[in-house]
Amino acid sequence: MNLLMPQTQKLSELISDIDTTIKNRFGGKTFWIKAEITDVKKQPDKRWCFLKFIEKDGNTITTEMKGVFWANSYNYIEEFEEETQQKFVSGLEITCNVRVRFHKRFGMDLEVLEIDFAYAIGKLERERKQTLERLVNENPLIRLLDGYYSTPNNRAALPMVFQNIALITAPNSDGQRDFTNVIEQNKYGYAFAVTPFLTQVQGDNAPQLIMEQLRLVEASKTDFDVVVIVRGGGSDIDFKSFNDYELARQIALCEKPILTGIGHDRNTSIVDLMARQLKTPTEVAAFILDNNYGFENNLLRIKARILQLAEDTIDNAKDELKHYKQRVKNLNPTTILKKGFAIVYADDKIVVDPKSITTGTEIKMHLQQEIIISTVTKKAKNEKEYDL
Amino acid sequence: MTYNEAFNALEILVEEIETDEIQLDTLAEKVKQANELIKFCETKLRKIDGDIKKVTEGNK
Repeated sequence: MNLLMPQTQKLSELISDIDTTIKNRFGGKTFWIKAEITDVKKQPDKRWCFLKFIEKDGNTITTEMKGVFWANSYNYIEEFEEETQQKFVSGLEITCNVRVRFHKRFGMDLEVLEIDFAYAIGKLERERKQTLERLVNENPLIRLLDGYYSTPNNRAALPMVFQNIALITAPNSDGQRDFTNVIEQNKYGYAFAVTPFLTQVQGDNAPQLIMEQLRLVEASKTDFDVVVIVRGGGSDIDFKSFNDYELARQIALCEKPILTGIGHDRNTSIVDLMARQLKTPTEVAAFILDNNYGFENNLLRIKARILQLAEDTIDNAKDELKHYKQRVKNLNPTTILKKGFAIVYADDKIVVDPKSITTGTEIKMHLQQEIIISTVTKKAKNEKEYDL
Repeated sequence: MTYNEAFNALEILVEEIETDEIQLDTLAEKVKQANELIKFCETKLRKIDGDIKKVTEGNK
């Protein structure tokens, strides 16, 4: 038994010592680190964000340190989301500038002062490039031609007219509303049958869930003319699902034409590249309406052409008939008599050859109005040439 | 008789009438036949014209 009492000091004295040591070593300095983040808790109203930085060896976390964004650096989170088109959530690897802090009650953490987007963007682009390369390399039907991805889906011809539409979208989303409104309230009065296939379109499970809906569309008894995938709302920035390899592959190989309206002007997901991209839900709806309008116009043109052809045929026939009518009229003996000619009869026979007529023969001259009966008193040769 | 049959008959008839060999005796008869064919064709054409107009207006 040790009778000697250990020398003790107050907790605060020890902690102050630690505090001083840390301040001496880390005070006034900032450090760039690259680490995975987890347990991200954003408080947008206060503009704070708490998280943990971790480092792993396989699946085992070997290093962990609390981190925090205060209001003066919270805007970096928003910019990060804006620039990289992905949410600032657990699982990301980020490069950031930190300051080491120590609080006598709350302990040590790293205060984030700045995020390096270039790193995050570069990483995303590399991933995107890898996914695209894998799609081309592992699927002979997906080809890269002059910077354009040619897939069975976007090579397949569109139907002449769209009527049965399968709509894959999130329930009660702006995308669903925008698309449906434009389609249903179209000024041409076209009727459509829109069947919704609802699913979440964000989050880790989204690619699988969207793929499941697409399988349901393909297995459906309804022979859909087109599949529309839309996502709406300017605040939705999580694009990750639409860059998923498996989903992109299923879209590329899907035989039904797919129109996408899942982004905005500056972002094109891999899914967009595999199908036909129309940017917004409203644009997809407008495309469908234009297509049907074009079809109707063609019909009207063909109809007009048929009528024109029919009219031309009738007109030609009328002209031709008129021509023949005139010819028959000219040949009609009545017409000839009107011009002052006469038909000469002898013995009730028309005289064609005048040799049979001699002086004293009785002849009948048929004029238009009257018949003149006379006796020939003299015959002479006709010197005039009437054969014009 | 169809329009085309009537019109073909008319063409042949007119050619016959126009040849020099025709006798005046038969001329009148042939002209009469030709006029009947013309009448037939005209009636037929007017009917077709009317039918087309009916179809067009029905679709408007």
